[in-house]
Amino acid sequence: MVNLDEISRAIIRGDGDKALQLTNVALDERVPAKQILDNGLVPGIQRVGDLFESGEYYLPELVMAGDAMTRALELIDPILGKGDTPRIGKFLIGTVKDDVHDIGKNIVVMMLKGNGWEVTDLGVDIPPEEFCSAVEKGHYNILGLSALLTMTMDRAGETIEALKAAGLRSKIKIMVGGAPVTQGWANKVGADGYAPDAPGAVKVAAALVGKS
Amino acid sequence: MGKLTGLERIMKAVNRQEPDMIPTLEIDIEPDVINAIKPGLSYADFCDYMDLDGICYFDMKGKRYEMVDEARHIARDEWGALRRFTPATPHNPVPWDPAVKSEKDLKNLVAPDPDLPYRYTEIEQAVNTYKGKRAVIATVMDPFNTVKDSIRGEVNVYMDMIKTPEFVDELNAIARDYHMRYVKHCIDLGVDIIWVTGDYAITKGPMVSPKFTERFLTPGLKQIVEYCHSRGVHCFKHTDGNIWPIFDLLVETGIDAIHPIDPTAGMDLGEAKERYGDRLCLIGGVDCGALLSWGTTDDVREAVKEAIRKAGKGGGYICASSNSIHNGVKPENYVEMVKAIREYGKYPLSLT
Repeated sequence: MVNLDEISRAIIRGDGDKALQLTNVALDERVPAKQILDNGLVPGIQRVGDLFESGEYYLPELVMAGDAMTRALELIDPILGKGDTPRIGKFLIGTVKDDVHDIGKNIVVMMLKGNGWEVTDLGVDIPPEEFCSAVEKGHYNILGLSALLTMTMDRAGETIEALKAAGLRSKIKIMVGGAPVTQGWANKVGADGYAPDAPGAVKVAAALVGKS
Repeated sequence: MGKLTGLERIMKAVNRQEPDMIPTLEIDIEPDVINAIKPGLSYADFCDYMDLDGICYFDMKGKRYEMVDEARHIARDEWGALRRFTPATPHNPVPWDPAVKSEKDLKNLVAPDPDLPYRYTEIEQAVNTYKGKRAVIATVMDPFNTVKDSIRGEVNVYMDMIKTPEFVDELNAIARDYHMRYVKHCIDLGVDIIWVTGDYAITKGPMVSPKFTERFLTPGLKQIVEYCHSRGVHCFKHTDGNIWPIFDLLVETGIDAIHPIDPTAGMDLGEAKERYGDRLCLIGGVDCGALLSWGTTDDVREAVKEAIRKAGKGGGYICASSNSIHNGVKPENYVEMVKAIREYGKYPLSLT
């Protein structure tokens, strides 16, 4: 019988091969996918987030753990999708217009997925109208706007204004992030949430949908 | 003390002595800001116009990219990596797709040629024009950052550090060979200072652990520093971010100055001065994010005074922005910054 703590430990070590192998064994042993996620993968990636926030882990460890998590999730996602397992919520994310940085955003995506979010990643250099269109068409709980440059932070503010003008602002919570972004600036542009890093973003996102 | 030249002023500061006044320079000034202040001037002419104490030259700035996708603004750099231009980064395109996607790709990697004479035309001109008047500085990318941004890609190299550390060593060696030869040519031409760019940290802290920093990052820097010193040339290091956990490792490489002590990343000039001011010169400290982009000229003046109060005493400080004068900086704020440095930076300092 696979010990789900072992899966957590494989994620914490960033050992993707081991995480994948143990997840496979657990599925063979008919452990419900939801249980593998909740008691194996999620505690692992949450611990990784804590270790990153406390300064014990750095980007290489975070990236390795995120990769291990993504590989294990690819295995159980189709099975989870077949059941009636509710995820935390739906998260729409993208890097704002004129900005093509994506590594920070991609780490946030990995961490959100690992923590039970269904994530739609629009990519980089996304104009306000494309964010508006996606918000209008989808049923998302949160929109995450990433801006890595002082010069492109304004684009995040412009996107929020465009959502207001299109009458869509009340439909969605908005989070902002990126190296130059601060809580004060997030408040100024009317965002609902801000976090300085990916693990923080997971916590703020959960709080915004009342699941912290 | 009589009026010193820009070069003398910087050398005094680097040697942690008090010059006639606190020097100032910028590692980069974007053309939008130059054109708003004095239309049509080149970067070098603008440094002259503003009477800055040093002039920096990047390796093939703006000339090292071959456009491969006009519509998406994607270009190939000299290492074969793809990079993407945006209106916000017209001169520093963002890494998009690395040259070496797998270990097997390594055999196809063709390093740029550091011996090409046209690479050094601008530096040679600068040495002829400014030698002895202003510090002529050649900036060189940190070998690790070339591996990260061009050769292997950021996420790949982080995973390599854990999975195949020897492969990172191999890539670092390739990058080092290029950069060492570039540095040698610059020094042969007579530059006064080598300034190694490329970040080791993000706002939260170092990108990689101190152990990995020592294993993969600082050896390349140390090799450049030791070579510069063997030729009697000073070597500066630039890195964004919060570097407190790796500050000692940086100092141990023997660098003569550290830049840019970014207050928005938790770096404090006063604390840096207190802890490391007896071992190296500090450069920077004036926030080029919110302050220079959106602040008032009064805010800028106060920030300059604060920086001088914290780091100016006894020399060892070059006042500059916390990164560079990018396109988002209000031109009037940069003018005010330089004016305030000249006004409040005269030794003996009147600010306490």
